[in-house]
Amino acid sequence: MSTATSNPREVTPGAIDISATQSVPFSRLVKVELRKMVDTRSGFWLLFTTGILLVLASGISLLVVGLNDNVSLNATDISQILTIPLSLLLPVFAIQTVTSEWSQRTALVSFTLEANRVRVLTSKLSAVVLLALGTILLAVVLGAILNLAGAAVGGYDATWNLEASGMVATVATQLLYFMMAFGIGAVVLSTPAAIALFYVVALMLPLMVYGTLMAFFEWARDLIPWIDLQFASAPFFESWSDLGGKEIGQLIVATVIWVVIPLVVGTKRVMTTEPK
Amino acid sequence: MEPMIKVENLPKKYGEFVAVDDVSFVAQPGRVTGFLGPNGAGKTTTMRMMVGLTAPDRGSVTIGGHDYHDIPNPGRHIGVLLDASAQHAGRTGREVLSLGASVMGLPSSRVDEMLALVSLDDREANRRVRNFSLGMRQRLGIAHALLGDPEVLILDEPANGLDPAGIRWMRGLLKGYADRGGAVLLSSHLLHEVEQIADEMIVIGQGRIVARGDRETLLAGRVGSSSQVNSLDNELLHAKLEASGLGVEPAGPARSVKGSTEAVGRVAADNGSSSPSSAPWARASRTCSSN
Repeated sequence: MSTATSNPREVTPGAIDISATQSVPFSRLVKVELRKMVDTRSGFWLLFTTGILLVLASGISLLVVGLNDNVSLNATDISQILTIPLSLLLPVFAIQTVTSEWSQRTALVSFTLEANRVRVLTSKLSAVVLLALGTILLAVVLGAILNLAGAAVGGYDATWNLEASGMVATVATQLLYFMMAFGIGAVVLSTPAAIALFYVVALMLPLMVYGTLMAFFEWARDLIPWIDLQFASAPFFESWSDLGGKEIGQLIVATVIWVVIPLVVGTKRVMTTEPK
Repeated sequence: MEPMIKVENLPKKYGEFVAVDDVSFVAQPGRVTGFLGPNGAGKTTTMRMMVGLTAPDRGSVTIGGHDYHDIPNPGRHIGVLLDASAQHAGRTGREVLSLGASVMGLPSSRVDEMLALVSLDDREANRRVRNFSLGMRQRLGIAHALLGDPEVLILDEPANGLDPAGIRWMRGLLKGYADRGGAVLLSSHLLHEVEQIADEMIVIGQGRIVARGDRETLLAGRVGSSSQVNSLDNELLHAKLEASGLGVEPAGPARSVKGSTEAVGRVAADNGSSSPSSAPWARASRTCSSN
């Protein structure tokens, strides 16, 4: 075995000259964090399954258009259809980027190669945002193709009726949910616990509990839009001219509860928890 | 010569539990310094405090004159291996090194060099870490620590899981590294591992430094000094040692004996028929001889 490749650059014995060393550029940290999301089997399968779901959702829509003469798709429908596969599995990336450092114990390496943990966390959050934006961009391209294909199959003219407000709301809520997943991951620092907590709060409660409560109780109709991101963000998908202070307030309160507080508490947790 | 690693008055308490109690020592450039002590003595906690993963209650650590947090791109100056098993089980060995090289800003050719250095061939390097043996993980960890061509190496139990040939290889590697001016601090709970690899030793027991010096000084110092011993039946050992005229004091769960480890071993062996644990006595007393 050769040892010729390791060659300590000793200048003064006992002193390390750090004047010529640059700290790790933030962009490099983000690049590495993006790579870490997809270089494992779980990362690969999450991406692969999301791709399959996108293709399935598009295929089924086309099939319905082709088989029913009186059904047509417009850009708004497609955006709603394609958002579902994007929000189903991808938040797991946002959770795992934090939690796997603790469950796989790689934090020992990550925090010794970049000792500033806030930098590590913000690079991870940036990678999560880039992943969210990248997948949305992919969905937009796919949606445009789907819109044209639907028009061709159904024999009608494609309708490009996607309002800017709806597009902004779609992107913004997607980002909010990704950041919520990231925050919950940082608070819990355990992959299964964070995934369970995220899907209960983001998917099961609005779907199974809140809807039922709101159908039966007046107080639930008053309260739930303040404490649930889905109900709080719903009005923003429509025209923004009807929005009042109440809707904006509801979105702010729900965002503080599920995004800001988890991010703050989670950052504190990551700063103070010793990786073992 | 200024020491490369300087640890001063480093205590760490977890609630009432004292993990490290006021530890001070230095490691010199050009030397391999062994950090020896039984499991739970505070070696890992001390090393974690050196690289900023655990905050000490007070005291200071400097490496090459700097606080770890002040060193930019620390992987280029200090190679760290705290736990060879702390790698994502789903990544390949090569990917683990590639990620490290990316953070440090090194070309991918450096990854190939390091894989060759630790003798992980292509087939092995492309396996997932989940399927690595402990020895392979240690090699990968050492390759990772050496990636950035650092001036200092801090290795926690790097020989754990290596076979005798692997330990000889590591000795050659670290000696060569130290001869070119690098400083190495490596921990172990096994005296025979450390004495093969290290030029000098720091012995830690129950959160305190109990001895330091090179191998000869330490071995010579055993005669007429006290020894820390542990066994399956400390009550019985205590009684037998007292009966044979050696001063014995409880030291935590173990015993501190006024006498050499040989003397303790002799008493243990003589009473072997009345206790099933004579072999563990001899072994335990050897790993932690003290001044």
